[in-house]
Amino acid sequence: MATIENIETDEFILDEKTLREIETMKGANQWSIVWRRIKKDKMGMLGLYIVTFLILMAFVSWILLQLDEWLTHAGLLYGDPNLISSLNNLYVELWIPGVSKSNPIVLFNHPTYQFADQVKLPPSFIHPFGTDANGQDMLSRVFFGATNSLALGFIGQMTTVIIGTVLGSIAGFYGGIIDDILQRVIELLYSMPQFILMIFIIVLFEDIQVPGGKYAVVVIFFALIGWGGTALIIRSNFFSLKEQDFVEAERALGASDMRIIFKHILPNSLAPLIIIVTLGIAGTIFLFAALAFFGFGDATIVSWGDDLNKWQDQLLEYPWMPMFPALFIFFTVLGFNLFGDSLRDALDPRLKD
Amino acid sequence: MSLRGYIIRRVIYIVPVILGVTLMNFTLINISPGDPVIIRIGLIHCETEDCYNAAYNREAINMGLLDSNLYTVPWFKRYIDFVSDLLRLDFGTSWYYTRAGQGRPIAQIISEHAKYTIILNIVSFFASLLLATAIGVVSATRQNSFWDRSLTVAMLLGYAMPLFWLAKLIMLVSFYLFDFTGVAEGDAFTEPILLNGQFYKFLILPALALTIGGLVFMARLVRSQLLEILRQDYITTAKAKGLDSRSVIYKHAFRNGLLPIVTIIGSSLPGLLGGSVMIERVFGWPGLGTIFLNGALFRDYPLMMATNTIFPFLFLIARLLTDITYVFIDPRIKY
Repeated sequence: MATIENIETDEFILDEKTLREIETMKGANQWSIVWRRIKKDKMGMLGLYIVTFLILMAFVSWILLQLDEWLTHAGLLYGDPNLISSLNNLYVELWIPGVSKSNPIVLFNHPTYQFADQVKLPPSFIHPFGTDANGQDMLSRVFFGATNSLALGFIGQMTTVIIGTVLGSIAGFYGGIIDDILQRVIELLYSMPQFILMIFIIVLFEDIQVPGGKYAVVVIFFALIGWGGTALIIRSNFFSLKEQDFVEAERALGASDMRIIFKHILPNSLAPLIIIVTLGIAGTIFLFAALAFFGFGDATIVSWGDDLNKWQDQLLEYPWMPMFPALFIFFTVLGFNLFGDSLRDALDPRLKD
Repeated sequence: MSLRGYIIRRVIYIVPVILGVTLMNFTLINISPGDPVIIRIGLIHCETEDCYNAAYNREAINMGLLDSNLYTVPWFKRYIDFVSDLLRLDFGTSWYYTRAGQGRPIAQIISEHAKYTIILNIVSFFASLLLATAIGVVSATRQNSFWDRSLTVAMLLGYAMPLFWLAKLIMLVSFYLFDFTGVAEGDAFTEPILLNGQFYKFLILPALALTIGGLVFMARLVRSQLLEILRQDYITTAKAKGLDSRSVIYKHAFRNGLLPIVTIIGSSLPGLLGGSVMIERVFGWPGLGTIFLNGALFRDYPLMMATNTIFPFLFLIARLLTDITYVFIDPRIKY
């Protein structure tokens, strides 16, 4: 005799895998569901691995450089990395058992240390990425350049997102004339190619003295002109959310505007914000590398874009000099794009193609 | 409202935007540190201070910063002067591009070089549009096949590749294969350029680089749009009627996917224009981008003001054209 249960199982044939999945999804919070979705996406995981590797590399190289500077200041080390003829304080050695200890392989040097007799060497066992025309080890340059390249992209993107969120929230929540003014300003900023506007501003303000050097100017003005995209997305999110019942209910309870914005609407706009940050970092790193490539960077700091600018004309003769910084810019943009796409699909499955 | 009324309204709308952009650029120049007169006369060598002061005053009057009685001209007066000059298409004279010691008129420089940028951009825009359509259709109709997967991976790699570096790599490959770097030389631009075979030879590599730059962006878009539409009910109906797949895709699916594609391409046009600046610089293509970058490197303020007025103008015209194409794509849209 067919019971009700039997009829149901006849109609919905669910295999064991799907059932198990539904079981685990029960009671799970949003972020663990998102994490499960990302884990299934092979490309997204590849992007996550690349991003994690690069961030770790940036952190390790930053800590090594800070440690070197600190020890030198404390008087424990005597070399000055800024002097060419000085001792080389910072180096990471690799000793392979069986090889004589007196002549170990130096993995990383201080990025500004110059091997006076090893100029323009192609990639070899001792210098895996070769050396450049100044006798600097390219592997060390690339390794220590990660800090500045990634930090600039991250700081630049975070500042634009913060400014865009604040302005977009105000415009979206209050509407009216504030919203009109904001839209006109965004229209003006976006009628110029960002790359061209950035070059124009950098040229005008290159004499300005701010702590942090030339890149501080770049980041400040990037934040001042780049917030439009974030503001538009947050604004439209606010428009659709502020009419919802839960906001009405909160207002009926006597909540202030600030409480509604920060406790209720903004947390609901978190998903687009995370996507903007992840995908935006790739774009920002690309923009800063492009600025450096065309000579609007700061040649005194160690970053991939500036190394690329320095050796771009050597591509035909000494291809390894510009190739490795370019390759790392490529991998960074690729990693953030892959991870960002996967994150977008996981956070908002309706957008999935 | 009629289409003509809409177009007239949009053309009039360009005016305040251009005024706003020039005001923004003007303000930026004014609040920037450093005296433009000192930058301008940086190369003049003077023995005495009097000679230097005389040169300074002469240049400042020339640039409109001081009036003939050596009083400072207020900024709004200078801005009104700039706008009235702009209406007469007079951008002043360049500081960097000189002939016989005299700066050349910027309007002349721009009219000479704008055509190179426009040719390069139009060729690569339509090439990338066609290729993106082809790739998008191939990927979407054979979803998850070998072709789809390899094309998607190629598009992803191309999307992550910095455009200026792609141009350099194309140069490198071409040098090894054909012993030809594609860097523009003098004889490529003898008039008339459209009848000049050399011109087309030097057009190939920059156009190729710019095409790939636009292609990787558009192909992803076409693919995802088509995939979404192919899932709709009316596609199933069309297939059930027994239509062949070609007319299902091109008559039913592709036409409906065009609207969002045109919208996103229209909003990404400044990015494409910025990309063309990079490509022009790498290949030494003598278009507006190279003019602008030279002006920027040598701090040629009048030239930068002029190009920064031209670029938004070109962009607004292009956006106007995309908005007008909506009417032809989607008959539901009425103005």
